[in-house]
Amino acid sequence: MALPYCEGLLLSAPKDEIRRELNRFLAEVEGKAFRMARIALRHDDDALDAVQDAMLQLARRYATRPAAEWRPLFYRILENRVRDLQRRRMVRSKVMALLPWRRDDGEETPDPVAEAPDHAPGPVEQAEGMGVLAALESALARLPPRQREAFLLRNMEGLDVAQTAAAMGCSDGSVKTHYFRAVQALKEQLGEFWT
Amino acid sequence: MNANHEADEFERRAAGVLRASATCLDGATRARLARARAAALSPVARRRGWLEFRYLAPAGAVTAAVLATVLLFGPGRPVKPVNDTSGSALYDMELLSDADAFDIAQESDLEFIEWAAAQGEQTGKGG
Repeated sequence: MALPYCEGLLLSAPKDEIRRELNRFLAEVEGKAFRMARIALRHDDDALDAVQDAMLQLARRYATRPAAEWRPLFYRILENRVRDLQRRRMVRSKVMALLPWRRDDGEETPDPVAEAPDHAPGPVEQAEGMGVLAALESALARLPPRQREAFLLRNMEGLDVAQTAAAMGCSDGSVKTHYFRAVQALKEQLGEFWT
Repeated sequence: MNANHEADEFERRAAGVLRASATCLDGATRARLARARAAALSPVARRRGWLEFRYLAPAGAVTAAVLATVLLFGPGRPVKPVNDTSGSALYDMELLSDADAFDIAQESDLEFIEWAAAQGEQTGKGG
């Protein structure tokens, strides 16, 4: 039996029931979470790592919280993990830039994010005319992180302003501002594809 | 989208494309996500925190015991001073209660003390 959202704490529910409910929730969000992480990280393996870490953290720490809180919590954990991976890449690139055999070669150190492999769309995507998706993902990747986060949580995941604010750890007003600017920027970038 | 916002055509289209992309993942990615989900929900993964505590707690106790032993019996422990007078407390009390003895003890002219004692003895014999 599925546990209804917006219920109280699930502490009294049997563990197996919580696990089933959590499994159902994670199965529902994992595809969208992977897409969000991949747009930010531009790397399949890193995106999968980020999603897996978010799943683990949610299951370990927040499984007994009300089910209604899982979604914003999960996306908050995921976004933190994505940011950690991005910071790690930045540190790695700085360390590589300091290495003597890299410093004297007179060439600019490549940006690891730009260098990350960006796999071509799969056959299913191609069959369904996902050139539009590629353009949208590319435009999203160019947005400032907070704007991208607000847009994806509101637009793809369908969270309302309050849930998005909880997931992003900011105010409702900030969410509205980030979302508005994201839409404006995307419309400017994608005008030729979308009008 | 939802009740908070009236989505325009662009937003509806973007939402449709993005949601479709999330459901049209390739088989390998789907399988990896399913494995990740199973790992997150497995009792072993959930019990890991307890396992860590189970091993960390005894290790912490052993470390504390070793540290306490080193502090109490190790080479750095304080040594009794040579001029330790803690054992002569009774003597000190007697000295303080006997005003004459205290004066004598404070006197540095030992020759005078010896002479005074000899005179006393002679006076006693003579008297």
